[in-house]
Amino acid sequence: MTASCTRLAARSPTPGLLEAVADKLLSGRGIWPAVPAIIALTVVAVIPFIILLSLGFSQIEMERGTIVSQSFTLDYLINALSDPLYWTTFQRSMTLALTTTVLCLVLGYPVAYLYLIGGRWTRRAILILTIAPLLTSGIVRTYAWLVILGGRGVVNTALMQMGLIDRPLRIVNTHVAVLIGMVQIHLPVMILPLIALMARQDRRLEEASYNLGASRLGTLWHVILPMSAPAIGTGTALVFTLSYTTFVVPQLLGGGNYLNAATMIYEQVVYSLEWSKGSVSALILMASCLVVLTLIAMATSRITRWTKGRDA
Amino acid sequence: MMQVPVAKAEQATSAAVLRIAAVSKRFGSMTVLQDCSLSVAEGEIVTLLGPSGCGKTTLLRCIAGFWNPEEGAILIDGQDTVQTPVNRRPVGVVFQSYALFPHLTVAENIGYGLRMRGLPKTEIAARVAAALETVSLSGLGGRYPAQLSGGQQQRVAIARVLVLEPRVLLLDEPFNALDAKLRGAMQVDLRQLIKRLGMTAIFVTHDQEEALTMSDRIAVMRAGRIEQVAPPEEIFDRPATAYVADFIGSSNFWQAEAQAGRVILPDGQDLSTSLTGPVRVMSRPHNLSLQPGALGPWQGRLLFQRSVGALVEYHVTTDSGDMRVMAMRRPAARQPVEGDTVTLGVIDPGLCAVYEP
Ligand SMILES: Nc1ncnc2c1ncn2[C@@H]1O[C@H](COP(=O)(O)OP(=O)(O)O)[C@@H](O)[C@H]1O
Ligand SMILES: [Mg+2]
Repeated sequence: MTASCTRLAARSPTPGLLEAVADKLLSGRGIWPAVPAIIALTVVAVIPFIILLSLGFSQIEMERGTIVSQSFTLDYLINALSDPLYWTTFQRSMTLALTTTVLCLVLGYPVAYLYLIGGRWTRRAILILTIAPLLTSGIVRTYAWLVILGGRGVVNTALMQMGLIDRPLRIVNTHVAVLIGMVQIHLPVMILPLIALMARQDRRLEEASYNLGASRLGTLWHVILPMSAPAIGTGTALVFTLSYTTFVVPQLLGGGNYLNAATMIYEQVVYSLEWSKGSVSALILMASCLVVLTLIAMATSRITRWTKGRDA
Repeated sequence: MMQVPVAKAEQATSAAVLRIAAVSKRFGSMTVLQDCSLSVAEGEIVTLLGPSGCGKTTLLRCIAGFWNPEEGAILIDGQDTVQTPVNRRPVGVVFQSYALFPHLTVAENIGYGLRMRGLPKTEIAARVAAALETVSLSGLGGRYPAQLSGGQQQRVAIARVLVLEPRVLLLDEPFNALDAKLRGAMQVDLRQLIKRLGMTAIFVTHDQEEALTMSDRIAVMRAGRIEQVAPPEEIFDRPATAYVADFIGSSNFWQAEAQAGRVILPDGQDLSTSLTGPVRVMSRPHNLSLQPGALGPWQGRLLFQRSVGALVEYHVTTDSGDMRVMAMRRPAARQPVEGDTVTLGVIDPGLCAVYEP
C-alpha cells in the first residue's frame, strides 16, 4: 500500500465504509479498479443479454398478459437457419460490412500516412477534419447525404446543370448510396487509431530505412505498414463491428427497402412484434460478428508477433 | 590507446574519401553549421567532438543526405553528393539510439539493406551470417531487437550498415544509450572492429575520453564551427584556441602582456609569440612544478591538495589567478600542507600556449 493511503488511514482511526471501498478500488491490485465498469456492464449488457437468450430459446405461453408456461426450445433458431431470407440478409450485411471496412482502410491509410510525414499544421488539419464529423450525430450526417444524393440534391442538380444527364439519377435507395454513407460515417473510426499510432511512430526508423537503400515505397511497405498492423487491426475490428450491426445508414439511405441484419431485427421486433425471432436474429448477428472479430484478432496477432516476448 | 601516426593528418587531403568543403547549414534565421571544412582519409576515424547542441548531428545528417547544406559541398570519392538522394549515398549511419526495426529479427534487420538491393535470398543469408560473425552475435539472428542488451543492439546497428560496405560509416554518439561501465571496453572493441574492416568513419561524441580512445583525428566543434582538427596528442599538447584547451583536458589560464614577440611567464621564463598586447597564456596542470616555501618569483598559497594515485593535485592561489598543478608525490617530510606558501614554475615553456584575450 502506498504511503499516502497509510497516512489517510492514520488520520481517521475508524475508516468508514466509503474509505474502505475507495481504498480497495484504488489499490491497483487484482480486478478491484475494474469493479465499477463490471457493475455497469452487468446492468446494461449482461442482464439484457441473458434476457435476449431466454427470449430466443424459450417457448412462452401467455394467457391474458401473464406467463403460464415457459419451456426450452430450439425451434426459433432452427427456423431462422433454414429460412433463405435470413441467409441472404446476413450475407448482405456481411458483404456491406466487409466492403465498408476495406474501403475505409484503403481511404483511411493514406490519410494516416500523410499525417505521419506531415508537418505540425498538416497533422493538426487532419486531426480536426477527422474528429469534426464525430461531433455531429450519425443520423444528422446520414440526412446530409440524403440532401446531397437525393433527386434534387447537389449531385443531381450539378450533373443536370452541366447537361450530363436529362433527369435525376436514382442514387438514394441504392446499394451505392448505402455504401457511400457507410464509408463516410465510419472513416474517422478507422483513421483515429491509425493516426494515434502514427503520432507515436519513431521517425528515425524511416530514416534508417532510407539510409539502408530503401525507396519511399519500400519503406512504406517494409517498415511503416507492418509497424501499423496493431492499429490496422483495431480500426478494422471497430469499423467492421459498427458497420455490420448498423441500423441508421441502411434504414435512411436505403429508403426503408434495404434489408440488412439490423433493419431486419428492427422490423421483427417493432413491426411484427416477434420478439423471439428478433432475439434469435440478434444472437446470430452477434455470433457471426464475433467469428469475424476473432479472425481479425488472430491475423493481427500473427503479424505483430514481434510485440510479444519483449522481455523474454 | 593513442598509437596513431601523426602523419595521417597530412595524408588526409590527398586520398580523401570524404571531403566537407565550407559547409553552412541554417534553420530559418539560425545558423547551425558555419563554414565547416574537413577531409577524411581512407580508413581513418575522425571524431566530431563538442558540447551538446554544437551541430554534430546536423553535420552528420548533411553527410548522410537527410538534409542538404545551404552552402558548401560534400564530396565522397571526389563526387559531389548534392544530387544524390539518401538511399543512394554510400554512407552507413549508426543512429543515436540505433533505430533498429522492432518488427524484424536481428537477421532481418541486418539483411534489410541487401533485400532492398534485390539480392538473392541465399546470398543475403550468407552475408548476414558473416556479418553476425563479425560482430560476435552468431546465434542471435532469430531474436527481436527488444530481446537484446544495449551493447548487442549497438552491434546489430553496426552490422546492419557494415553488410552494405559503405564508403563512410557515421556513428552518432553510439555509446550514449549504454551503461557508463560498459563503455570503456566497448570503445576499444568498436575502434578495433572499424580498423580491422578498414572502414572510414566519422564518430560523434561530446565525451572527450571517448574521443581520445576512438579517434585518429579529432575535430573540435563549437557553436557550428570546427575549431581545430588534429590527432588527439596534438589537440591536447597544442590546442589551437583557448576554447579547445578548455574543452579538452584541464588547463590553467592567466593574463599576460606580449611585447616584441615575447611573453614573460610569472616564474620569469619567457616564451615567443606572434601576438602583441594583452594575451592569455595556458598551461596544463602537469606542465607546472611546485616547491614548498618562497623560492622564486611565482609564489602562492596552497588552498587544497588531493592524491590521485601516484600524483598529487594541488590548488594554488597566486597573483596570476588560481592554478592547478599535477605533480609526483614527495616524501612526507617535504610535502606542503594546506595554507603553506609554495612556489610555482613552468616546466617546459614550449608546452604553454598563447591566445588572444
Ligand atoms: N530540425 C531542426 N530544426 C531547427 N533547428 C534544429 C533542427 N535540428 C537541430 N536544430 C538545432 O541545431 C543545433 C544543433 O543541433 P545538433 O546538430 O542536434 O547538435 P548536437 O548533435 O551537437 O547535440 C541545435 O541548436 C538545435 O536546436
Ligand atoms: Mg546530437
